[in-house]
Amino acid sequence: MLKRGIAVAAAASVALSACVQTRQFADTEFTPPEGDYKLLVLRPDVSVGSLTTGGMVEPRADWTDPARHSVVDALRVQQAGRGGKVTIVEHRNEVPGVTAQELADVERLNFAVDQSIVLHKYLGDYLPTKRGKGLDWSLGADAVRLGQKTGYDYALFLHAEDAQASGGRIALGLLGLAGCFIGFCAPNVGGQQQLDYASLVDLKTGEVVWFNVVQAGSEIPGIKFGDLRTPAGATQMIDRLLGRMKPGKDAIKGHVMTPEPASKH
Amino acid sequence: MCVRCDMLTRRSLLVGGGAAAAALHTGAAQARVLPQQMVPLVGPGYRPTERDEQGLWKEMDRVEEEIAGTNLLIDNPRIGHYLQDLIGTVGGPAAKDFRIYLLRIPEFNAMMFPTGFAVVFSGLLLRMRNEAQLAGVIAHESGHFLRRHMIRSWRDQKRKTDILAIGAMLAGVGGAGAGVYLGDYVQLAQLGTILTLFQYSRAMEAEADAMGAKLIAETGYPPIEMSNIWEQLIGEENASARYRGKHRHRGSIFDTHPSEGSRMVDLKADAAEITVPGKAYDNHRARYLTTIGPIRQMLLDDQVKLNDPGASQYLIETLAQDGWNGLLRFYEGEVWRLRNRDGDELRAGQSYAAAVAYPDAPADAWRWHGITLMKQGRTVEAKAAFSRYLRMKPDAPDDAWVRQMAG
Repeated sequence: MLKRGIAVAAAASVALSACVQTRQFADTEFTPPEGDYKLLVLRPDVSVGSLTTGGMVEPRADWTDPARHSVVDALRVQQAGRGGKVTIVEHRNEVPGVTAQELADVERLNFAVDQSIVLHKYLGDYLPTKRGKGLDWSLGADAVRLGQKTGYDYALFLHAEDAQASGGRIALGLLGLAGCFIGFCAPNVGGQQQLDYASLVDLKTGEVVWFNVVQAGSEIPGIKFGDLRTPAGATQMIDRLLGRMKPGKDAIKGHVMTPEPASKH
Repeated sequence: MCVRCDMLTRRSLLVGGGAAAAALHTGAAQARVLPQQMVPLVGPGYRPTERDEQGLWKEMDRVEEEIAGTNLLIDNPRIGHYLQDLIGTVGGPAAKDFRIYLLRIPEFNAMMFPTGFAVVFSGLLLRMRNEAQLAGVIAHESGHFLRRHMIRSWRDQKRKTDILAIGAMLAGVGGAGAGVYLGDYVQLAQLGTILTLFQYSRAMEAEADAMGAKLIAETGYPPIEMSNIWEQLIGEENASARYRGKHRHRGSIFDTHPSEGSRMVDLKADAAEITVPGKAYDNHRARYLTTIGPIRQMLLDDQVKLNDPGASQYLIETLAQDGWNGLLRFYEGEVWRLRNRDGDELRAGQSYAAAVAYPDAPADAWRWHGITLMKQGRTVEAKAAFSRYLRMKPDAPDDAWVRQMAG
């Protein structure tokens, strides 16, 4: 009787111990780009590895390459749906009008700003001066110059990393599950781990107007939450990350005051 | 895989290690790796053929792109070619495949990445007294690549963490079946795993030292210089610690590298073993100093601004064993001036006065010499020094102020 109780609890924990979390922030004035806009996507950073039995992530070149393609394809389809013209560059020398060095500078600046956003918006180190201001970060004049030189309206930076449980890791989880029947229940050793984030920069103002983080992972090896290597998994990731872009709070208020009160939020 | 790695990964590993181990402070002695046994495991044009190593190489593409384009890179083509030639000489079979980047970071370090590109910190160039010492460090890094250390240590970690995970799970399940609690043993096993990972890492470093000594000896550098590097570093760290009222770290079971003392001793033994009597060895000190000449002031300037007067003083005095000059005397003065203890102003003034007596005194030595003289009321001499400063540095940022002082 007791053993059956544990098994039930284990089943319940299987259901609970896996999740997809997303949390986005937007500039208070932000309205998601729609219609005729030009978007530059700089070097999407995609990597896929294998989660070893012992819990290390082994980088896999043969998984990363297809994943990069799937993610880029999914991104093109998704952006086309919003009406935008999107250019995705893999190398820094592929953007006419700017040097590789200028692009590298913007990329590195963005990386530093992204780290700051993550620290002060996600990791709990909140700044009183930025409270209630939505997303209040900017790349400044460098980003504006990039926009002027290239003619793009927005720049999107995207990072996705995925670790799929290896056969050994799944076996370890199964062993833990088997243990449930004799009182040592540990199926939740940790399975797939996916972390994605994206930031959107308005190249007219230089401001980071929108930022989103998606974490998907399962405690149980073998259970997956989208597999970046496959087109379906990549589409799902892009949809989670970019599909539900919310406008900033002032933009919403402004919208409510327009003569069309029919729109709901 | 660096000469002196930072301790970040070590700390993060320790989080899982339990504090009990901290008491097990030992010298962690290890048998010396013999240089003769160090045979390169890769040939020219090596490419990975196995899946895990291919994955590791893939990850490195963007890392190298970042490093090659970072604004920390010291963009001096002459020194760049010099370093590339050096690794091309002491790099063994892979010599022509290596890439080497010099970054402006005022610390003693160099590292090799899995795909065969090396990074050298500017602080290393400051500390090396001759080309043989620099060649020794670069040969050590080449040794990591030639002995395939990155993939070997990755596989070692993977294997050991796999065994630990399975063992822990079996202990849990088996223990529950038998009705005993094995959790304490699992924790011990965890600690044991972590310790063997560090031990493995130290063994790789010892291999790279032995390989490096062999490589430089074969290319005509005196192998004893590799041991001298550690002697200098120990001296520097002692001086730095003494100034701060602390003790130098002497090595523990949690170190990724063998202790500096044991490396010095082992390398001395290596050198004795591989030095061929009668063979001519050359440390190429003159060539080295001429090459780094254009950036030596920058290297010294970065060092004295680290606010580590113990180390800076030791370094300058060590470099001065090969002869004092205006540059070294000026920066000796800067160490005192920035330290600013009782009597330091006087000491700094004496160093500036000594510096300007050399023909190679930098412009700033004349500036500070002028300020010292002005404070002493020797206005006429001070004005002469200021004029000299302005002549040497026509685009001085403090031009207006110095002009006013010079009258």
